[in-house]
Amino acid sequence: MTAAESIFENLRLELRRGCLTLAVLAQLREEHYGYTLRKDLAERGLEIDESTLYPLLRRLETQGLLVSQWREEDKRNKRFYRLSPDGEHILARLLDEWNATNSSISRILDAPRAEAATDADNQ
Amino acid sequence: MPTTSKDATMELLDRYLQAVRKYLPLRRQDDIIAELRANMESQIEDRESELNRPLTQGEFDDFLRKMGHPMLVASRYQTAQYLIGPAVFPMYFYVLRLAMLWAFIICMIVSAVVTPLTQTGGQAVIDALFRTPGILIQTAAWITLVFAAFDFARTRYPETCPQIPGINQNWNPSSLPPLEKAEHSGKPRSFTQTIIEIVMGVLFLGWLLIIPHHPFLLMGPGAAYLQAGPFLLAPVWWTFYWLLIAVNIMQIGWKCVELARGTWQWPSRMLQIVSKAVGLIPIAFLLTTPDHRYVLLKNPATDQLHYGQNLDQVNHGLHFAFCVVCAIVVVQLAFDIGKWILESYRRHEATAL
Repeated sequence: MTAAESIFENLRLELRRGCLTLAVLAQLREEHYGYTLRKDLAERGLEIDESTLYPLLRRLETQGLLVSQWREEDKRNKRFYRLSPDGEHILARLLDEWNATNSSISRILDAPRAEAATDADNQ
Repeated sequence: MPTTSKDATMELLDRYLQAVRKYLPLRRQDDIIAELRANMESQIEDRESELNRPLTQGEFDDFLRKMGHPMLVASRYQTAQYLIGPAVFPMYFYVLRLAMLWAFIICMIVSAVVTPLTQTGGQAVIDALFRTPGILIQTAAWITLVFAAFDFARTRYPETCPQIPGINQNWNPSSLPPLEKAEHSGKPRSFTQTIIEIVMGVLFLGWLLIIPHHPFLLMGPGAAYLQAGPFLLAPVWWTFYWLLIAVNIMQIGWKCVELARGTWQWPSRMLQIVSKAVGLIPIAFLLTTPDHRYVLLKNPATDQLHYGQNLDQVNHGLHFAFCVVCAIVVVQLAFDIGKWILESYRRHEATAL
């Protein structure tokens, strides 16, 4: 891996980290266990490693954003997670933040194009 | 296509989970392993129903490889742990650098003073050099230990720990230290100052050159005593004398070159270091004098009995004094070199940015 690729990879992971938490919280508005959650996220275009997702679920539960319970399904005991009331509140705030950041970045990216269009109109 | 039996698959899965368990926090081992097992079994089942056959050995190996090394998988369940946290680390690193520098300086001074009293020769120098890394490592270890303990206490019992400005209390911007002198800041050396330095250097050189003909200019009334007394200076002083003259000529020449090139305002740091290093040569020469014979008897055959003991004491005292002077100059030189390297590194980093 070249230095540039390594820098890109680090920045990509940094960028993804927060997004993954948001996606997991959003997806857990409905109850899931680890494997089906991972499958659902992948089907929606967000691949996430098992070794990242399962510890993340534990961490969010420890922080009180998720609640879990062991239940039998298909003759197998599984741990099901869903958003806690605190988690719902935090998710709403995070989504506001996400939308605000997204709009800001769009405006920043659009600014040079808008300036170029204004310059063209003036000429 | 060779497929694995269900038993073989389960055995490998058990072995994998057993390996993960070893690195998990004790209290949560069972819970985490049960959840991992359920997820992995579901995943295997899903894959097998897609393929409509059991997984082959290779596919199962790939599946486990994709899960990650047991140690890596377990590490994700651990909370981030560090000896000294990011809040305290800058202060720790600052104190560590200062302590290492002072430990090195003190170690050098003590070695220069104590070693000549207890040992002699090259072995003493080698012993002193070998002792230094041990002392530096001990210093670093103690400082790390103290800071680790402080950080541990600070994070677990914040209310009982002293407040650190900027970390766990409000800080006052007016308490920031004053601006440090940047390179080439302050007052530059004036043209007059440079001329005076050269004139004084030439006068000093002239004074040195006439000393052999008029020793009282250096020793005052002691010159008469030396002439009348039983002692005389050893020939080694002549070599020392001419080395001293050479060093002075070099320093005057360097100042003249600076004047000619118009660079007298900001003398080169490297040339200052070279000049100081060259100044060590005469002292080092005196230190290597065989048997430390700086003063001799005019008539050893007749005076040895009366003045032999005094002569030894004088020579020993002179050697000790040269050791101390040499140690001080070496420490100054090491300090200057360190400062120069640090400045060069900062300049390099600044231009790289």
